[in-house]
Amino acid sequence: MNYESIWLVLLFPILGFLIQALLGTKIEKALGRKVLGAIAVLPIVLSFGVGLAITLGLKEAAAGPVTIGDWINAGGLSIPFEFVVDPLSMTMVLIITGVGALIHLYATGYMNEDKEYARFFTYMNLFIASMLLLVLGANLVLLYVGWEGVGLCSYLLIGFWYKDLANAKAANKAFIVNRIGDWGLSLGLMLIVALLLTSQPNLAGGRYLSYDTMLPALKAALTSHPDMATAIALLLFVGAAGKSAQFPLYIWLPDAMAGPTPVSALIHAATMVTSGVVLLNRMHIVFEMSAVASAVVCVIGAFTALFAALIAFGQTDIKKVLAYSTVSQLGFMFIACGSGAYWAGMFHVTTHAFFKALLFLGAGAVIHAMAHNQDMRNYGNLRKYLPITFWTMVIGTLAICAVGIPGVFGFAGFYSKEAILGGALANSHAQINGIQLGQIAGWVGLGVAALTSIYMTRLTCLTFLGKEERWRAIPALAADNHDDHAAEGDDHDAHHELDANHTPHEVPVSMWLPLVVLAILSIGGGFALANGNAFEHWLYPNPLPVLGTVSTEPTGIPLAIYSMIAALGGIALGLAFYLKGLPKNQGFDESSWISLRRAERDQFGFDNALTVASVEGGGDIARGLWQWIDEGLIDGIVEGFGTVSGGIGQLMKRWQTGYIRLYALMMLLGFVTLIGYFAFAIERGVH
Amino acid sequence: MNGVPLAAYIALGLFMFTTGVVGVIVRKSPIVIFMCIELMLNSVNLTFLAFARYQMAGFNKTPENIQHSMMAGQMMVIFVMAVAAAEVAVGLGIIMAIFRLRDNVDIDEMNLLRG
Repeated sequence: MNYESIWLVLLFPILGFLIQALLGTKIEKALGRKVLGAIAVLPIVLSFGVGLAITLGLKEAAAGPVTIGDWINAGGLSIPFEFVVDPLSMTMVLIITGVGALIHLYATGYMNEDKEYARFFTYMNLFIASMLLLVLGANLVLLYVGWEGVGLCSYLLIGFWYKDLANAKAANKAFIVNRIGDWGLSLGLMLIVALLLTSQPNLAGGRYLSYDTMLPALKAALTSHPDMATAIALLLFVGAAGKSAQFPLYIWLPDAMAGPTPVSALIHAATMVTSGVVLLNRMHIVFEMSAVASAVVCVIGAFTALFAALIAFGQTDIKKVLAYSTVSQLGFMFIACGSGAYWAGMFHVTTHAFFKALLFLGAGAVIHAMAHNQDMRNYGNLRKYLPITFWTMVIGTLAICAVGIPGVFGFAGFYSKEAILGGALANSHAQINGIQLGQIAGWVGLGVAALTSIYMTRLTCLTFLGKEERWRAIPALAADNHDDHAAEGDDHDAHHELDANHTPHEVPVSMWLPLVVLAILSIGGGFALANGNAFEHWLYPNPLPVLGTVSTEPTGIPLAIYSMIAALGGIALGLAFYLKGLPKNQGFDESSWISLRRAERDQFGFDNALTVASVEGGGDIARGLWQWIDEGLIDGIVEGFGTVSGGIGQLMKRWQTGYIRLYALMMLLGFVTLIGYFAFAIERGVH
Repeated sequence: MNGVPLAAYIALGLFMFTTGVVGVIVRKSPIVIFMCIELMLNSVNLTFLAFARYQMAGFNKTPENIQHSMMAGQMMVIFVMAVAAAEVAVGLGIIMAIFRLRDNVDIDEMNLLRG
């Protein structure tokens, strides 16, 4: 298919969104949920088909942007509505629509008991459309539109069960934290325009923000202004950190688990959170020009990876563990982008989309089977009841643990993590004053890989293995630790309750089919893509403009052996701790936990401190402004004028006695005085 | 021309004017105040006429100029009388209206504009 039909990819989800939004409830009433669900999945599948056809027809020579029409023409700045078709955008299109279609399919089953089926798929289709616009837009403004769009949809979907205050709060938190990132992105955007308008005033057609004209111009401009590279790169990174949940802006992502599980899988694992990595790949020229900003990216990425991996140990909610593992894996992607191995970041985005979507959907299947209880301490021995979920989850776990035999075969995560750690250790791009922060980040990443194996094994063991069937012990599931589904209350189906005699069931076919597909991708995806560096050559056919060829094979370090030890050692440790079931000191009595685990549970107090500082501190500042500046200063000035005028009036009114005769007397006196003055003046003038 | 000097006219005018002013200030009855105002206006009229009759010094006394200045003084008097008549009509109307409203025309009680 010709690449100029790329607009079809965007059109289908938008049509789906409109159908769901305008006719959704009518279709549901007239034709039933199955039809509505099919209508929701269909546009994504069609988009995937078109995307696949275009990708297969993509030639080596980069195609120019596909311009649909004019959009903004202001002064010398021109921003057309245009799409970019290149390996980077098509990779993302395939991930978004491919994984998105599977998740939509899954959601038709998962959301089957929810009252507001149409509203859910309205948001989901709109989300896919926004995300496609983000990756397909051929200029930064269109990217920004998509960026805001996914932020909005994320808000809507996290707060989908909005009747529960906690969900509404989580949605607000996500939106507000994302706004901080958007602030950075918009500033970076403006800085780019300002820089190019002054240094390259006659850019072709005024398209200062379109990638094809901007990136070469930016390289020329940044060569003469190296400081600007750091400023722009850091601002863009603030934006990327907001969307991609990097420290300290990661706090929204774990809370975002309040949304339905397919949303967690779609937004908070596979697509939206990777948009920061996409941005860094698009704008890699800026990061190549600035070693300092790259080092910051590396350090933040490594710290986030470590921090989130540690927190994951303190979580008992199955979705929260996965959420922190997402944050941690995103940290890996940023390590890659910081060290210059941009393609490795994208590679991890791709493989991560496979296995993290799989893990989330598997977790969703477990939650579904366990009547929306999300606490892993209540699980155990579920492999007997959920065999498909179990085996696919095991594959996902092996993929995220990066298990593989170097040179032979590995699960998906193995190849991408190798590329990331290799890229970090082999390059010296990310450095400040000669300190090789990128390589340090690489070593930290290796340690985090081991931690990842341990906590993922913990999750699998607590959920599926062991002899104890702890869920039998819970009589009727209490309201706490419930999925927020219960907030729907009235329409909460009775069969959903679970008791000692009622065993969990394997999920319906619409839910396990995506699991199986994703499991196959998690097994073979990495192997197929990494084959002879095929992915790297496809994504970056030419050497990078500044860094040239970026090696991902460090010399003198047997990285493959190290990471194999990290992965397998981590799994072994995890099995040793958790194979027997829930350890005594990790049970429901949280006061018996060791203090480190309690600290991890509370995110080392970071979220709390930030909330206290921002919410309460912000409240104090606002109150101070209100009481001192607004009520004190401004009202004081305004009311002061009134008081002074009033006082003058009080004094003046004594003259207004109402006695006409007095007025007459006054007039007389004034008149006499005037006459006297003139007489005096004339007298003086004469002499 | 005959006997009565200009100073006598001016002295009479001054006396009438002073009487009027004092009357306006000290009396409480609006009718009397009106009469006093009339007195003041008429004193001014008298002065106009006197000055018209006795030409001022430093004045080019051609017969034409004398004619004109006499005319001007007398015209001014006509104007003043016309305005005074109109003013009386309005003023008496106001006084009638106030009397109907309050049964009392004491000038000191009309103090609605007091601050």
